[in-house]
Amino acid sequence: MTSTSVPLPVETRALSKTYRLGFWMNRQVRALQGLDLRVEAGQVYGILGPNGAGKSTTLKILMNLVRPTGGEALLFGLPPSLREARRLVGFLPENPAPYEYLTGREFVSLAGRLIGLAGHELDTRVTEVLRDVEMERSADLQIRRYSKGMIQRIGFAQAIVGRPRLLILDEPTSGLDPVGRRQLRDHILAERARGTTVIFCTHIIPDVEALCDRVAVLVGGKLVREGSVQDLLTAGASLVELVLSGITLERLRTLGHDVPYSQSLQDRLLIRITEVDSQPLLKKVIEAGGRVNSLNSVKYSLEDLFFSALQGAKSSGSVGGEIT
Amino acid sequence: MIRSFLAVAFNSFREALRHRISVVVVAFSVALLFATSLVADVTVITLDRVVTDFGLGAMSISLVMLTIFLSCSQLSREIERKTIFLIVSKPISRGEFLVARFAGNMFTLAVLILLMSAVFVAEVVLNGGSVTEAQLVALVMLWFELMVISSVGFLVSSFSSQLVSAVVTTGVYISGHLSDDIYSLSTRTKVPSLRALGHTLYYMLPNLERLNYRPKASYVLSSTFSEVFGSAAYGTAYAALMVTFAVLLFARRDFK
Repeated sequence: MTSTSVPLPVETRALSKTYRLGFWMNRQVRALQGLDLRVEAGQVYGILGPNGAGKSTTLKILMNLVRPTGGEALLFGLPPSLREARRLVGFLPENPAPYEYLTGREFVSLAGRLIGLAGHELDTRVTEVLRDVEMERSADLQIRRYSKGMIQRIGFAQAIVGRPRLLILDEPTSGLDPVGRRQLRDHILAERARGTTVIFCTHIIPDVEALCDRVAVLVGGKLVREGSVQDLLTAGASLVELVLSGITLERLRTLGHDVPYSQSLQDRLLIRITEVDSQPLLKKVIEAGGRVNSLNSVKYSLEDLFFSALQGAKSSGSVGGEIT
Repeated sequence: MIRSFLAVAFNSFREALRHRISVVVVAFSVALLFATSLVADVTVITLDRVVTDFGLGAMSISLVMLTIFLSCSQLSREIERKTIFLIVSKPISRGEFLVARFAGNMFTLAVLILLMSAVFVAEVVLNGGSVTEAQLVALVMLWFELMVISSVGFLVSSFSSQLVSAVVTTGVYISGHLSDDIYSLSTRTKVPSLRALGHTLYYMLPNLERLNYRPKASYVLSSTFSEVFGSAAYGTAYAALMVTFAVLLFARRDFK
């Protein structure tokens, strides 16, 4: 069997979703527009984007909570509407709200039953996952008494109780304190170590940098960047940041250099240019009577990547889902 | 498949038991049933009839209120709080989930009717009466009436909020007991459109009087098996239709 015939854990092809809003359903929000994603087995895949970018909608379509208006989504080659597809998946929604009248143990047990576990196997798995998420001591308290962090951990426990091959997490660390975020990150990394494919969406960039193998940046329901974290960071790493004085931006441009990023700092000028362009530009600046105060190689971060993608999307159209 | 169905159904039962309002309603109706003794004390004649009227009436009112609350709140609240994300993302179909919820609700109501019936029977016996067949039929048919009300609650809450569901279901309960009157009034009107409206309402609304055997229990009037069976079949068919519509709507719904 060739690698191409093995179904991917997650694949979307030209996936679109338009929500109809208002009493007469006459307002439309294009939450997703022709999204193509391919998530390979064993990866931690992050979907990054501002509010309204279509991140949660993508995950909800994958979990059969929302029906797409165009294109298709597949889980292990099967449409999410089939229960066989969802049997292999664990899902943690944003701000999970488990039944408050149940104890943590009862809720995880219910999740296990819905996956098909029973008897001794169910009891063993429930005990295991409660231990994994460090909720053994509070497992027999009603969920209404839990803190936000405890609810998130119970939510994670119910997602992994069936030993899923794919874990889908919607904003898993939002609203958590630093300790809670760290714990949840550790749980995600532990799942990856077990070979579970993880796809999660967030707008918390450090989480993506810390966890992801690959990243997709969504803006306005469209995929604007996609690649491995390493590739995306390397692509922007050949930039240098110069602080100049004795020369204006206009003068710099007359020297025949395009300056994609500039900022005036009182009597100085901060610019970012590619490393290749930096040497000829430096020569011309000095010849034109300017001075070079500093020169630093820019450490390109996902945050820079995210904001540059956002900037690009803003200049070409909508950012938070197109409304008509 | 059956395992997940039973898990959801049992959870509905557990939810109702742990809900404070259920406990309050049950306690209230049990207290009301015992209060029959007080009414009996001030009754000069037809003691049996007063005990039956008061007991069955108390059970009916409190259980109808509880049914409206449970059927309209469970699904709506689950959708509003987004708890449903955690359940329908599991390998269970939406239809299966909704029917299991409904089954769990009906099981809860069956248990409550059994408990209250025990109190009612004790009350009848304590007042020197004996339990009649008509009373037992009325108790059984009360469950079918609750099933119809519950199915309407589930249908409305599958696409609307808790408050709207409760208002509509209460309206259907009241008009369902008046559907014969709606029909006879509409036949007397000379305005064709009103007549058509009355007839449409009559055929759309459940005929809850057909499931109300409490007056017969009061007058100790027996019913034939075919009549009772026909009424039970009518209630079951109406509830099945409502649940089918609910499943169709629920399956197409987006959970944003």
